[in-house]
Amino acid sequence: MNTMAKPAAAQSQKLMVFVLSMSLYGLATLFTELIPKFQVGLVEFSVEYFLFIPLTLAMLFDPLSAALGAATGELVFSEIMLGQFGGLGELEKFLTVTIGIYIAGRMVSDPRNRTMVGVAAITGTAAQLLMGTVVDIAKVQFAVEDFEAVEGLPESVFATEGFAFCNDLLFSGIFFCLLPTLYLVPRLYGKIEPLLGAAPRTAEQNVSGLNPKALVVCAIGFACAVAAEMAATAGMSLVDWEAEWAESGTAMAVGMVVAAALAVLVLLVMKKNQERNMAC
Amino acid sequence: MEKMMSKLSENILDKFSMDFLRNQVLKNAYGNDDTVIAALDPRILIAWYLFFGVVPWFVNDLSFLLASFALVMVTTLLARVAGLVLFLFALGVFSQTGYLFLATLLFGGDASAVAPLLVLTLKVATISLASVTVFSGLDPDRLSNGLMWYGCPERLSFSISYAYRMLPMLMEEFQNVLLSYRLRGSAPDHDTFAGKVRYLIYQVKIIMESFYPLMLNTAKRSRTTVEALELRGYRYGATDKAVRKIKLSTMKVTCDDLLFLAVSALWMSLAVLGSTLI
Repeated sequence: MNTMAKPAAAQSQKLMVFVLSMSLYGLATLFTELIPKFQVGLVEFSVEYFLFIPLTLAMLFDPLSAALGAATGELVFSEIMLGQFGGLGELEKFLTVTIGIYIAGRMVSDPRNRTMVGVAAITGTAAQLLMGTVVDIAKVQFAVEDFEAVEGLPESVFATEGFAFCNDLLFSGIFFCLLPTLYLVPRLYGKIEPLLGAAPRTAEQNVSGLNPKALVVCAIGFACAVAAEMAATAGMSLVDWEAEWAESGTAMAVGMVVAAALAVLVLLVMKKNQERNMAC
Repeated sequence: MEKMMSKLSENILDKFSMDFLRNQVLKNAYGNDDTVIAALDPRILIAWYLFFGVVPWFVNDLSFLLASFALVMVTTLLARVAGLVLFLFALGVFSQTGYLFLATLLFGGDASAVAPLLVLTLKVATISLASVTVFSGLDPDRLSNGLMWYGCPERLSFSISYAYRMLPMLMEEFQNVLLSYRLRGSAPDHDTFAGKVRYLIYQVKIIMESFYPLMLNTAKRSRTTVEALELRGYRYGATDKAVRKIKLSTMKVTCDDLLFLAVSALWMSLAVLGSTLI
């Protein structure tokens, strides 16, 4: 049986990891979406992060497939299925989750080494949360007009976002990412790989290690995430809708109404005709 | 008072049982095939969504925003979206902007903060309702076909179809694993406060631990899935142009679809007219 010993994951194994990570993380995020969050003042105690699932998988298998699978799972199960798809803004979450998990997965060269696993788990989580916080602050700054003019708003945004970051990292990060990952990775090591027909990861295999290239790709991904979020949030002055109406005025608007009304009428007549033809 | 509270929490817990969640999600996915929205062509609907999901961000005109909000509200009603989804929508809108308003008040802002936040809330609400209409109103298979037509990666449409098929099974399996863990252990008393904390920790720990068997089981299942896919030539078929064509040939644009677009356009241009007149 030479297939078990093959070091590089074959294409179909990558697909298996993708499917595995997608369904498990998707299921978990679906629950978190449905479980009501309870708030104590401004502090939100939510079971937000089932991130330990993709983290575990990324440390045991091909990191990129696991990361992409998790992000897709979250997108499909908790956003599209529940109809909460936020358009372009979802790209930010997709990319930050992918990058965080990918970094964590690449950091671990030997899953039996508990220290390494722990450090990687908390680094991945912190990276994901930090990117989210930066994007969030920037988002609110651009979305609300006269940001500086509204008294108390800038401080409140920095305070709530900064607090949310610390809270998430210390609460969710330790309890829901670090501890479960430390529990699961050594236990699953050597047991789950044969189920997918893969060989367990060892230090000599060299799938891991964060080289500069991977980091650069991550940075570019983060830049894309910020750009997407900005485009989704801020009013791009490229598309200046208001000015257009102000200049062309009522005549243009009347024209639009007439055109639309005509289209509706024509379509109604066409539909009538079609139905009559069908009846004959 | 205490009795009432315990009864209330029991009631809420009843509502949020695993079966309830499963039913709501399934109802949302497959329960409304016969609505007006579900009968529309997915491509048209996605194009419609692209307008209402993007344009409101760039517009600050209040009457335009109100009109688009009214329109997407009507379409959401037409799509007969499951109650749970609407509840989550309300919660989401509040948690995105409502809490900011409260925080602003706390840090010494006054009522002048309301106006920009109201516009922001309206934008967020419009966009989420548009997505609720499209993504919950459509059948998953039709939705993934529509996305594929627009050139989305095959992986995504595969994921959507797979997710809808597998979710009920996964949920059931998770529930079974969870119950078997519960049967084997004894939960700590939760009369006192310390006991309640212990109980909560116990529950969370069980959920974490139950992912261990779940991961192994799902690994087996995903291997079976991928092997079945490979037998049918999935990875080659996904990138093949002829296969794509056959898959997408079922979609057809009819009069109804165009009528839907035209009515939306009429309504929005009336809104524009209204805003120029004011």
